Amino acid sequence: MELAEDLRSKFVSKAVRNVQRGYTEDDKSRGLFRPEVKLDIQRSRLMTESFKQTDGQAMVIRRAKALAHVLDNMGIFIRDWERIVGYQTSEPEGIYHPIDMNWKSVNRLVNSEAGKTLLNEAEKKELEEICEYWKGKSMSDRQQEMFSGDLAKYWKYEGTFLWTHWSELGIPDYETLLHEGLDARIKRAEERLEEIDKTIPRDYIDQKEFLQSVIIVLKAVINFSKRYAVLATDMAAVEKDPERKGRLEEIAHTCSWIPAHSPRSFLEAVQFFYFIHLIRYLEYSTLGIGLRLDYILGPYYEKDIQTGKLRKEEALETLQLLWVKFLELGLVYSPLVTSVYGGVASLQAITLGGRDKEGRDVTNDLTYLALETARTMRTIEPSIALRIHKDTPDELLSAAMDTIRTGIGYPSFFNDEALIPLLEKWGVPPEDAKMYGVSGCVYMEIPGKNITRRVLGYFVLAKCLWWALHQGINPKTGEQWGAKTPDPATFKSWEDVLEAYLTQVKFFTTKMTEVENTCRDLYAKYCPKPFYSAIVEGCIEQGKECKQWIYPSMVHDFAMVIAGTNVADSLTAIRKVVFEDKLVTLPELAAVMDKNWEGREDLRQACINAPKYGNDDDYADLIAREVHHRTEAVMETVKDRFGYGIRGDGSAVSATYGLAADTPATPDGRMDGGPFADSTLAPQPGMDKKGPTAVLNSCAKIDTLQTYNHLLNQKFLPQFLTDDMKPVFLGYLKTWRDKKISHIQFNVVDKHTLIAAQEYPEKYRDLIVRVAGFSAYFADLSKGLQDHIIARTEQSLS
Amino acid sequence: MNNHKGLIFDIQRFSIHDGPGIRTTVFMKGCPLRCLWCSNPESQDFFPNLMVRDINCKGCGACVNACPQGAITMTQAEGRKIEWSRCDQCLLCTGACIYHSLNRRGSYMEVPDIVQEIRKDEGFYRNSGGGVTVSGGEALWQSEIVAQLLAACKAEGMHTALDTTGHSSWEKLASVLNFTDLVLFDVKHLDSGAHRRATGVGNEQILENLVKAAKKKRIWIRMPLIAGFNDSEAHIQELTALAKRNGAEKISLLPYHEGGKAKSPQLGRIYPYPDAVAPAENHIHRLKDIMEKEGIVVSIGS
Repeated sequence: MELAEDLRSKFVSKAVRNVQRGYTEDDKSRGLFRPEVKLDIQRSRLMTESFKQTDGQAMVIRRAKALAHVLDNMGIFIRDWERIVGYQTSEPEGIYHPIDMNWKSVNRLVNSEAGKTLLNEAEKKELEEICEYWKGKSMSDRQQEMFSGDLAKYWKYEGTFLWTHWSELGIPDYETLLHEGLDARIKRAEERLEEIDKTIPRDYIDQKEFLQSVIIVLKAVINFSKRYAVLATDMAAVEKDPERKGRLEEIAHTCSWIPAHSPRSFLEAVQFFYFIHLIRYLEYSTLGIGLRLDYILGPYYEKDIQTGKLRKEEALETLQLLWVKFLELGLVYSPLVTSVYGGVASLQAITLGGRDKEGRDVTNDLTYLALETARTMRTIEPSIALRIHKDTPDELLSAAMDTIRTGIGYPSFFNDEALIPLLEKWGVPPEDAKMYGVSGCVYMEIPGKNITRRVLGYFVLAKCLWWALHQGINPKTGEQWGAKTPDPATFKSWEDVLEAYLTQVKFFTTKMTEVENTCRDLYAKYCPKPFYSAIVEGCIEQGKECKQWIYPSMVHDFAMVIAGTNVADSLTAIRKVVFEDKLVTLPELAAVMDKNWEGREDLRQACINAPKYGNDDDYADLIAREVHHRTEAVMETVKDRFGYGIRGDGSAVSATYGLAADTPATPDGRMDGGPFADSTLAPQPGMDKKGPTAVLNSCAKIDTLQTYNHLLNQKFLPQFLTDDMKPVFLGYLKTWRDKKISHIQFNVVDKHTLIAAQEYPEKYRDLIVRVAGFSAYFADLSKGLQDHIIARTEQSLS
Repeated sequence: MNNHKGLIFDIQRFSIHDGPGIRTTVFMKGCPLRCLWCSNPESQDFFPNLMVRDINCKGCGACVNACPQGAITMTQAEGRKIEWSRCDQCLLCTGACIYHSLNRRGSYMEVPDIVQEIRKDEGFYRNSGGGVTVSGGEALWQSEIVAQLLAACKAEGMHTALDTTGHSSWEKLASVLNFTDLVLFDVKHLDSGAHRRATGVGNEQILENLVKAAKKKRIWIRMPLIAGFNDSEAHIQELTALAKRNGAEKISLLPYHEGGKAKSPQLGRIYPYPDAVAPAENHIHRLKDIMEKEGIVVSIGS
């Protein structure tokens, strides 16, 4: 406990503040980061140095050498309290920006109001020089150069979808890596090289260059660890304090052994994992973790406990130290992207519980210890994804509830009973499906498999409905932007509106995917990832970089779908108000909405009073079901470049607030720019009036198997989670499981606290809320996003 | 009144304070008692009535035209006013109001429709040890419907609870008990005079029913706790003795809250108990200790 408090006072949060809603400013003057956070340009500097030297070589080799150059030369340090070492930058306050991806946005950022504290003048000057090299060479330049015709028009955010080039995830094969150490990987790559020298396959050169690059990076990773061993030894030699000296010697002992070899203790296993995680992140700036912490690290913990080498309290401290490591990772976002990532640091989640390959429950002592770590640390990341199934022990559910009631917003619950069948439907073999991990919000991945999965964009479904009511024509400019769907005057029923909506969904999914497919090819060519390829199954064995082949399934690419609820409620309102009660014609309604309901409050009330999704009322819920099922089916007809269908996903992040700014009024009664329902399964805030059981019943009507992995926020008052309410909460959770709803998470804080925190942010600096699939400091969110969270229905009845 | 239908003022799902587990509570409308502190005054009348939420009023004036009695006026200065003495509860105004400012409280429902609503949360009952609770008003004043309703729920294997003031004939209570697993028996005061002054009726019949009911079914005793009215240590000791004598499993103390204060004007009434307060937190704990020392299970607030 003492250590936790101490660490909490010391770590530097890299959480980003949302400063924009689409192109609109949102509390911009607060700055993107806390003032103590600084941009560290050494990765950019070292990468550039290396790239200048390797001109003319194969890209995969160049990137391997660049990463090795960074690892060999970046500044390293060990802090007072540390037993787990490794850092993204040379200073604890540092964050880095991936210059190889994009130089324009970082240059713009450091010279803007939002990012003015990030660099001093001399550094700004150096950055400009570095940028000079990357002109025409960064991925962002290459993309823009490549986009032509329609793509040049559609890749830019206009309000219907926000395509992004990042958020590329995947979970390394930690199980094998820890079991055999990196030396074994290097050996395998060398053996493969010898083998192809004999067989001379058709792609001999590609294979050879790739395998050489693997050896370069893996050796650099081992060397990086050894640098820490040397530093620790040097520091220990002059350290007077026996306790610190002991810690430094322990670090030296650990870092001279791993990651070349398999860890000999729990502590070494944690350090091994962390180096892999950190270096992945240095190779390619992205989000997520996905480690099944209890399953992977549990055996090392148990062995140490059995041999008396480790005490439980010490293991708890080790995890607390690891938590700080997660927390201090951060990313540089563009102001536009903060409209979907308000409050995020780097969106990392670990996975606990669930089944193993054989279907057995994996819960072990480390599962409980990880929850205890979360309770004592009370930090925004890592979020915990807890997998639940029929054999999950009640004791674990109970420990999860104790964790949730601290208000941190996690663990969030993932339903194996719904998600394993869904993964199988996507083409994942049953034994792999049981092994899934959750890496960020609700991103599901199969550990160790070659899933370099990308979020290809944030897709505003409500805007598609809006296009359907305007024949795809922007009424302000007269431009045909969406698909040319029939005149709404010809629609005879709500089903006709649905069909036109689906045509728009298909149109924009196609546009988004075309942009993405072009870009994927570019990334395969110009941004290979030799390190990531070396730590998943199959790349070394086949001599192929991870972007050159695909794990055969639909797990890979998706678009985050936003505002499905608003589409459903809008269609319900159209059915009731236009086609049943005949209060207005559809073109008239569209005209009223174009004027943001001005002068027709009566009509808006009629639309609001129509049945709404989330009240266990089939009239509205079955339309919601239709919307989700049909949207997914239409999206799946659009294919990625390997021929697999594109799918939706429930990780809406804060886009339900941020991107809503660019959707005009909708027939559910929503005003121009008003926030959307906060997750795929959530009712529109304030519209669910029958309590939390009715919400789950409504959700259960949307079949996970015919849709995607969803996200559902429930907000409960703290009193609902007191000890005597445990049977009620567990009963609620088990019913959620039985109903095969894919996900649920809980915000446990009362409205009064949030309102007080809005008024006196300095008193509530540590107050954490669940935004979407992640938790954030309430004070980091803009006033508008705070209001949105306050407005979500508080589910507690007396 | 309609013989085949029950008059209900609310069906509340996810009730977690009206018996064990997650429950659905059916609130029957109409009550013979007039407890001063009543937190649901809209439950008292034996007919549907008008309830007003001024905050929702947009001043559209539709209600003025809808009222045949001319009880509603709309002026620039005062906004909408209702002259309650002229209101005959015809409720035509509630149909005209699109802003949920004028609302009807109470509707007649047939047993199968009520059961259908209850059945929706069956999975939650099973996993949490919950079920259905019938409350009021005073449910026993519609005992025929309530007996039918609970019989139907029992037939589907649900756990049933009755929340009652106990103020009814034994025959009516007994007819409902046949289909009840647990009785939440409300006790307001053990002195009949005090009881009469605060609720309008004496407690003799209530206490007699409690004794009889306890012989047939599991009971939990519930008492609203109001400072200076029923929160003396002596009174709590008496209550504890009553519980022990009759084998009650638990006593729930429900500290007074101001729910009724805001609602009274919404029904065109004057709140009869403006000075009521809940006992202090530490006093409630002292009372809890007294009861627990006697081996009684106590809960506060549920």
